[in-house]
Amino acid sequence: MVERNIFVRILHPIFVSLIYIFLYLPIVVLVLFSFNKSSIASGWSGFSLKWFKALLQSPEMLEALKVSLIVALTSTFLSVLMGAALVFASRWWKKSFLFNIFNINIILPEIIIAVGLISIFTFFKIPLGYESLIAGHTLIGLGFVVPIILSRFKELDPMLTEASTDLGARPLQTFSKIVLPLLAPAIIVSCFLVFTLSLDDFFISFFCSGVKVQTLSVYIFSLVRQGIDPRVNAISTCLLAVSSICVLVLCSSKIVGQVFGYGK
Amino acid sequence: MNFVKRILQEEYPFIFALPAFMWQLFFLYLPLVSIVVFSFLEFSPLQGFLGFSFSYYVKIFKLVYLKVILNSFFLALFTSIICLVISYPVAYFLALKVKRFKTLFLFGLVLPSWTNLIVQIYAWFFLLERRSIISKLLCYIGIFSEPRHMINSYFSTMIGMVYCFLPFMILPIYTVLEKMNRSLLEASSDLGASRFVTFRKVILPISLPGIYTGLLLVFVPAFGEFVIPSLLGGAKKAYWGTVIVDKFLISGEWRSGFAIATVGVLFLGLFIGLLFSVFKIVKVLKTKRFKLKIQASKK
Repeated sequence: MVERNIFVRILHPIFVSLIYIFLYLPIVVLVLFSFNKSSIASGWSGFSLKWFKALLQSPEMLEALKVSLIVALTSTFLSVLMGAALVFASRWWKKSFLFNIFNINIILPEIIIAVGLISIFTFFKIPLGYESLIAGHTLIGLGFVVPIILSRFKELDPMLTEASTDLGARPLQTFSKIVLPLLAPAIIVSCFLVFTLSLDDFFISFFCSGVKVQTLSVYIFSLVRQGIDPRVNAISTCLLAVSSICVLVLCSSKIVGQVFGYGK
Repeated sequence: MNFVKRILQEEYPFIFALPAFMWQLFFLYLPLVSIVVFSFLEFSPLQGFLGFSFSYYVKIFKLVYLKVILNSFFLALFTSIICLVISYPVAYFLALKVKRFKTLFLFGLVLPSWTNLIVQIYAWFFLLERRSIISKLLCYIGIFSEPRHMINSYFSTMIGMVYCFLPFMILPIYTVLEKMNRSLLEASSDLGASRFVTFRKVILPISLPGIYTGLLLVFVPAFGEFVIPSLLGGAKKAYWGTVIVDKFLISGEWRSGFAIATVGVLFLGLFIGLLFSVFKIVKVLKTKRFKLKIQASKK
């Protein structure tokens, strides 16, 4: 009996804290070294911001950042708009398979989606670039947006849309004046989610970016392949800051908690 | 014109749903079909369509490619098993033991997995290097005789895989345990079950759906993983993902690439299907045995 108590009281919390250390040790070291003076990873040689300055002076990095931002913003906008419209249609079309077909976007290995996309783009002779990147990222986004907005929409009173139709509003008016404002929390959350997903995506960017356009992930990958580079630490620190803000928004929201189980 | 008007007036829900469906159709289902179709097509840039053939499948029907698929399979299998073993206690702790700051704990769990994948892997470069803290620590304890490079090995690949996929196993299990009705635990202990029996007969069966979701979320992407083995594994072993990247982006043998992609997805689908039907059969058998037991006790 005593042994079990020791296991429950002491060993279990210790195990969980070890896992948290496992999750955070690499990140902490990474961030620390981004403020390191010397370029070698061996030890600490003083605080400096020179790697962040080097980033701002690198045109390749800025170009990649621009591409990533354009792609992320466009695909966020498209997937959230289309997802919300689809959910609005469920007011009349009450068939769950309509939404279940979007689950496959999350489950399927991304490499297959990427290969499929480049095959279809080359078949129709559309050059790879922004179009293919946005197509792929919007697709991934839809897989997340649809369940989130749907769960919020199910909570709404169906009378509201009925009343608006009865009072003579056209569907487009009902959508823009009634449904969109009511879905706003879910929509904001999905915007953050899709934005981070698109910014962090690697596979689709790697396959679909073509020759001219390069996203941030692909640029970082090409740097990382050559080994340790303090500029990568600096980018990583910035990206970490961005995703922390997004995750903070996500975790503090109730809706994502209901769909994916975090938060309460 | 009348037809368009009627659609606009009566079938408008259809129009709202259309963009998302078209997107899904053109950029997911059509490409998926095209992968399979292209792997069978005989096609030349000059003469155009030449007919169907299995030649690319014959080409990849080699021991090397079988090994590649098996490599990926075992990588995904080990990753899922290690993740499951680590995740269960953590999810259990978060769901049933943590009373305060739960959101903070969850935030901490989610944050690493939402950062860029490349960043997550790059972070390990610093810890697995020869002059890193871990290497020095292991030296100090006496496991290593001298500081060693731990990168570019199967071990470092596994660390990277587990690190990246762990949250995807913890969260589904946590969700199920969190939603569990707590009075079941009380009922079980009131009826005289020990802690272990309560765990085995009450908590574990309830958490099974979470475990299945977690296995799916870890196994499938792990099977197609390319970045982690190539950055942390030193490209010593070939995996399904690595071979596809090689065929499409480096050697340019697209046709064999399509064939390998099709074979891999087929293998993956069959394995997952088999696994889940086994789970289902076990469940049916268990319910049957349980019903028989109840009948016997009634007599």
